[in-house]
Amino acid sequence: MTYLALLPWHRRLAWLLLALVLLLAIAGPWLWPDPARQDLMQFLASPSLAEPLGRDQLGRSVMARVASATRLSLGLAALCVLSAALLGSLLGVLSAWRGGLTDTVLRGVADGVLALPGLLIVLIFSAMAKGGFLTLYLGLALAQWVEYFRMTRARSRLVLASPHVEASRLLGFGPGYIVRRHLWPELSPMLLTMASFGMATAILALSTLGYVGVGLQPPAAELGLMMTEALPHYSEAPRLVLAPVAVLALTLAALVLLRPLEVTR
Amino acid sequence: MSTLHLGGVAVYQQQHCLLQPLDLTLYPGEALTVLGESGSGKSLLAHAIMGTLPAGLRASGELRQDSQAWPLADAANRRALWGAQLAILPQEPATALDPTMRVLPQVAEGWRGAAKLAHTEAHSLLGRLGLHAAQRHYPHQLSGGMAQRVAFAAATLGGASLLLADEPSKGLDSQACATLAQLLQQHLASGQCLLTITNDIALARALGGQVLVMRGGEVVEHGPASQVLQQPRHTYTQQLLAAEPQAWPTIPHPAAGDWLLQGRSLGKAYGSQTLFQNVDIDIAAGERVALLAHSGAGKSTLGNILLGLTRADHGSVRYRDGLPRTAWQKLYQDPVQAFAPHISLHTALHDVLQHCGQPVASLETLLHRLRLSPDLLARKPSQVSGGELQRLALIRTLLLQPALLFADEPTSRLDPLTQQDTVHCLLDELARIGCALLLVTHDHALASKSTSRQLRW
Repeated sequence: MTYLALLPWHRRLAWLLLALVLLLAIAGPWLWPDPARQDLMQFLASPSLAEPLGRDQLGRSVMARVASATRLSLGLAALCVLSAALLGSLLGVLSAWRGGLTDTVLRGVADGVLALPGLLIVLIFSAMAKGGFLTLYLGLALAQWVEYFRMTRARSRLVLASPHVEASRLLGFGPGYIVRRHLWPELSPMLLTMASFGMATAILALSTLGYVGVGLQPPAAELGLMMTEALPHYSEAPRLVLAPVAVLALTLAALVLLRPLEVTR
Repeated sequence: MSTLHLGGVAVYQQQHCLLQPLDLTLYPGEALTVLGESGSGKSLLAHAIMGTLPAGLRASGELRQDSQAWPLADAANRRALWGAQLAILPQEPATALDPTMRVLPQVAEGWRGAAKLAHTEAHSLLGRLGLHAAQRHYPHQLSGGMAQRVAFAAATLGGASLLLADEPSKGLDSQACATLAQLLQQHLASGQCLLTITNDIALARALGGQVLVMRGGEVVEHGPASQVLQQPRHTYTQQLLAAEPQAWPTIPHPAAGDWLLQGRSLGKAYGSQTLFQNVDIDIAAGERVALLAHSGAGKSTLGNILLGLTRADHGSVRYRDGLPRTAWQKLYQDPVQAFAPHISLHTALHDVLQHCGQPVASLETLLHRLRLSPDLLARKPSQVSGGELQRLALIRTLLLQPALLFADEPTSRLDPLTQQDTVHCLLDELARIGCALLLVTHDHALASKSTSRQLRW
């Protein structure tokens, strides 16, 4: 509580929103278990106490679908960001450390990836194996690692060339020590900021692909896909579209507001 | 140009008084120099006058000229005077200049009025300062002395009647310092006022006029330079004057032992610029050697080559066998940059202890001998004063029992009292373990007092 009280208001709000979304992602599928179970008798049923968001055009529980989609989006985005950050920052440090040929090759690869728009990479991967979970993950992670690589490389080069690293080397310390005491404290705030923005980008990309129909395929519950499916019924039941939109908006707002304290010197 | 009066200038942080009220009169053509150690509140005086105190500090008192008065409590009322009436020559011009602007347009910005006229004025001023060739350069292409002259041009182009120079000689070599003193003299000769804040006694002597000695936010002595700097009355002023390397008593140097390191026909060039060629250097165990040259002559580079940190273009360095890699240590010019910025000093020093297998007691003994409180270790490197941090850096290298310590201008950023203290600690500790010293400096007096052999080029 004391820690929360110290935070600026926007970060407190961000944590609150994120807690709500996480609650939905974790507890939701447990309360409303099956997002795919159809009951055509309850076509577009209105909200009730048991079904707070009612049922959709196939009589499926909207609450169950939203909860499942949230879990999927958050999980997949976290996995992508984790892989991209790990791969990108490791290669970035390696490139800054080794210099020479290693640096030239890695930079060439990174620039090559950067030349293609991120969403295009994901689209290419999705087109290769339509709607697969694994391809989406690979595509998103491969589109994102370059950012981490470039930032980590640039910052690491500065740190590695600084007198304090030279002093540590003279004192006889090895690479492990330099990473732990010199690089990590310098890189971690930046990586956390990038990861929170990266989560937002990944979630948005995922739902964009779902919306245009090349992401996950029905009957999977996915935020973008849910919006597309519900659009024809917008005039009768706008809640079908608004529910995934609201979840998406709140998640993105929380992640953007969450950015860790600016790196101050 | 008329006389400027400062009445009851004081600076407070909440209820705490950082600068005791003081009255000053600045006469046109007469220098006023404020001397004192770092932390004595002398920079606060300049910022209180300009109205640029950091948030949380407030000033009182007033600035008067002719019949006009500006209360210092309101920081904004002097903004209209900036450039035309008040100008500041900042500390460390190399960082104060805009790195993305060329010299000429940067200086021309100081002129209020037509851009074309500003360029002509800036052009002729730079020409008079001998910077004709550097007009199209960017700040990173300038030497420290040139950057100082550019900053001087930028500050004085507006024709300000009061120039505040805040530690203008910090980090300059003796040649650049002499040029700076000349510039400030010229400024005075044109009938303007000058307030210089410095810990450089040689500069105060060169400027003459009135001298004000400050300590702990209080004025301890005030009078004409000839009197204060020749026959100081206050003990603090006497200490300050005795701390100048010229005034140090002779220091006995230990006898040199066997050879430790031999550099043969060393040469280094950066691009087309040759730093040095065919340099031979020998250092014996326990010996104290100084490398003396003006800035930019490559003396730090030579030291780095001897330590194996930089590769020489020609020549070779031979080390005595049987010494570990950690026997060659370095002390940096800016100690803040020699410590990992986010790690507490406690962690940094205990890492070294653990790494070289020394008991904690040896660190405590060294802290005690160098008069450093163990409480300091809880802080981050940036939260400790320069003199203390340089002594902590010394302790860090001493833990490894070095055979040679390369000290790269270790005291050029410290005030004279702290410099004296740091150098004496350094020499005592090195004598104790029989470590040789390679001192890089541009201060001839410091080199001749603290080393037995000087190499110059």
